[in-house]
Amino acid sequence: MDKFVAFLEKYLSTPMAKLSEQKHLRSIRDGVVAALPFIIFGSIFLIIAFPPVGADTAIALWAKKHIAEILIPYRLTMFIMTLYITFGIGYSLSASYKIDPLSGGLLSTASFLFTIGIKSMEGVGFVLPMTNLGGHGLFVAMLVSIFSVEVLRLCNRKKIMIKLPDSVPTSVARSFEALIPVVLVLTVMTFITVVFKVDLHSIVDKAVAPLVKAGDSYFGVIIPVFLITFFWSFGIHGVSVVGAVARPVWEVYLANNSAAVAAGQAIPHIAPETFFQWFIWIGGSGATLGLVIAMLLTAKSKYSKALGRTTIVPSIFNINEPVIFGLPIVLNPVLIIPFVITPLVTTTVAYIATSVGLVTPTYVMVPWTLPAPIGAYLSTGGDWRAIVLVLVNISLSVLIYLPFFKMYDSKLVAQELEEQSSSAA
Amino acid sequence: MKVLFVCSGGMSSAIAVNALKKEAEKNGIAMEVLAVGTQEFDAEVQNGWDVAMVAPQVRHRFDGFKASADAAGVPCQLIPPQAYSPLGGPALLKAVKELKK
Repeated sequence: MDKFVAFLEKYLSTPMAKLSEQKHLRSIRDGVVAALPFIIFGSIFLIIAFPPVGADTAIALWAKKHIAEILIPYRLTMFIMTLYITFGIGYSLSASYKIDPLSGGLLSTASFLFTIGIKSMEGVGFVLPMTNLGGHGLFVAMLVSIFSVEVLRLCNRKKIMIKLPDSVPTSVARSFEALIPVVLVLTVMTFITVVFKVDLHSIVDKAVAPLVKAGDSYFGVIIPVFLITFFWSFGIHGVSVVGAVARPVWEVYLANNSAAVAAGQAIPHIAPETFFQWFIWIGGSGATLGLVIAMLLTAKSKYSKALGRTTIVPSIFNINEPVIFGLPIVLNPVLIIPFVITPLVTTTVAYIATSVGLVTPTYVMVPWTLPAPIGAYLSTGGDWRAIVLVLVNISLSVLIYLPFFKMYDSKLVAQELEEQSSSAA
Repeated sequence: MKVLFVCSGGMSSAIAVNALKKEAEKNGIAMEVLAVGTQEFDAEVQNGWDVAMVAPQVRHRFDGFKASADAAGVPCQLIPPQAYSPLGGPALLKAVKELKK
């Protein structure tokens, strides 16, 4: 077993984790992550606009009357999140190439705006249609940001730029350095979207449609769940590896779900990132809150007693590295088994509950360090049944972890006895 | 002694930071410890740290961190996985001391 684990680590988990550090993947992930505070802020206003109280209460009536105003902060942040993400991707990718990140971020943003196109409205003037500035436009944003920064990098490497004498202040010199790549990139964008009138968004929409559909299916949900615990079993941060590929799709689901709620339509997707966060990763990756509860209930060894007491509070707030490395779960076959199985079971339960309509799909993003019942309640826009689902999943995880933990704990007890007798002798 | 930790978000290492601080206090060593996320590390490591420690769950990014730490002249090492817990104070202190030498 140990040899098998070592084999998997050397040939599978470590190379895959390194792959996720590929510069483009990483900057897309970092760009999305940079936009999260704005997404969280905006999504709070969805709860205010659709308060989880009876439809005839004073608050609900007030919200209904002022809904357009209440949703303004949402529309200017989460609803157009791709605008923020684009800058983030351009910024992080240029930073990783060690070229001026500000130029990279700005150029990416400009390229992205070129794909939107403008309309003229009587009495208003020129307007930017907002739909593609949101989740819809995310894939186009990824493409044009990478294109923009790669051109910037090429010009830098080949020294295709206007060099000013050293006596010129650096900030002025830098803006001139970016001039040629900016002209190049935006000329190309002008040709694509203005001269040839190519609608990048509809093309890319068609291309990624199968992916967007697959990611929301049962297998599209269960595979990332399995991979995340698989990586953690070797002590590698699973969400950061798997998220490098899956996160853009998860954010598109979230954006679509929230847009549907704001427009008063049915919620289209089951599995935005918030689905995993609140229904599956209760206590952290691997649903380890159940393990810590099992530890508090049944621990016999001194070590797991102490560990249970010190890790229960971080676990409630979904921080579980102390459990994963402390117990440890990492490279520990007895505990890896429930660590992988538990989330597969709870995912299945949550997926079924959501798809048959027992629980509202998640559409609000709140900070991941909230206790799961509160997070689940808020992210479903205040559905009390989400709390029930969380409690069911916690109970299931306690039950699955319990026998495996007991097995491991008795090994610890034996070890402690041995140490005691050898130190006494 | 000034010790810089890096983990995924700077959250989980805060727990290891507290364990290390307590252990250092017990041993009468003055110690300043900061935990940062992966995105902040490259910039922060240049601010005069004695040692930099990388959390085990981001060890696939170790090469990149090591390069930045080397450039700043800061010794850099992985945190032993078993030490990365609230009970890992003594092991952490030992690792930090060895790295400092």
